[in-house]
Amino acid sequence: MASAAATAAVSGVVLPHSLLSHRSSPPHIVALASSFRRLSLCASPRRTTHLVARADASAEAGEPEAEAEPVSASADAEAGEAEGAVAVAEAEEQPPPSKLKVKFGEIIGILNKQFIEEAEKVKTVPDLRPGDIIELRMQRPNKRRLSLFKGIIIAKHKAGVHTTIRVRRIIAGVGVEITFPVYSPRIKEITVIRHKKVRRAKLYYLKHKLPRFSTFK
Amino acid sequence: MGSHGNNLFGAVSSSVEAVTRPSHCDAISQQIRTFIQMRTNLKVVDNSGAKRVMCIQAKSGKYGAKLGDTIVGSVKEAQPRGKVKKGDVVYGVVVRAAMKKGRSDGSEVQFDDNAIVLVNNKGELIGTRVFGPVPHELRKKKHLKILALAEHIV
Repeated sequence: MASAAATAAVSGVVLPHSLLSHRSSPPHIVALASSFRRLSLCASPRRTTHLVARADASAEAGEPEAEAEPVSASADAEAGEAEGAVAVAEAEEQPPPSKLKVKFGEIIGILNKQFIEEAEKVKTVPDLRPGDIIELRMQRPNKRRLSLFKGIIIAKHKAGVHTTIRVRRIIAGVGVEITFPVYSPRIKEITVIRHKKVRRAKLYYLKHKLPRFSTFK
Repeated sequence: MGSHGNNLFGAVSSSVEAVTRPSHCDAISQQIRTFIQMRTNLKVVDNSGAKRVMCIQAKSGKYGAKLGDTIVGSVKEAQPRGKVKKGDVVYGVVVRAAMKKGRSDGSEVQFDDNAIVLVNNKGELIGTRVFGPVPHELRKKKHLKILALAEHIV
């Protein structure tokens, strides 16, 4: 159903089709992206053609773009529901029309930005740095109240939408370090309480120091 | 004391990959904690009388025990008047592990030490109190008594 619409979209516009054929194996790169994000395979070629159609149409003339837009918009919308059912945070909207050509290697970067934009709409993520003492509220699966985590950020691993922070605290006499994905929809609120001046990006030395350096009321 | 430069708290850090001399390239290997396997020393955090237990066997897991698994251990150090004495072979549930345990929402938990709570072979607790924080991974493993007695659930 979605693939039929995809092929209709491709054949409807002549110019992107010719350009697609001379690029080397587009479905392979997008298959990589799709397996990594658990999209259905029929949905992914549509997304590529939609990006390529935009880029080439805008590169060539305004007239084929008007034709490509309503066709790919409808395909986008209906496959958008299929994707929304599968993955956690999918971008239903189309990216802002950029006048630059989109290279296939940049697709993951673009999709990552879309995910981050989607997550940013639900909650604002403050600028987090190692050394910040934060308070984090997270939704647990079968509980109504949000659980609270406090602690100092000892590491931040930047990986696009899977950016994680590692938070350390002494709980009941034992040091606990929890790694949280920052853009996860389970995390409802992050606030920075204080900031401790540190001269490192990763504060793994804290676990070898006295417990009082990791204790936060 | 004879402990190496990177061993913290004496004999506790048994699952840390030992390094003879602190150097820059060992920083990464120091951070990677591994499973609880044979000869791992664990702290006992209930009032059953034992203080330290050495793992003899991990009951499940190809490479060793993780958070929430059961192990068989030998009591190495015990309090004078307790329910178990030194040299007993006991079962234990791992309630704190220095190795990260991933959760289904993408977060990961790790503690600063390895700790167990003694149980009998049917899974019932020997002690009557549990000290320190415990993770809620134990709920899935059906150790609800431990969760009920715990001071803090992480």
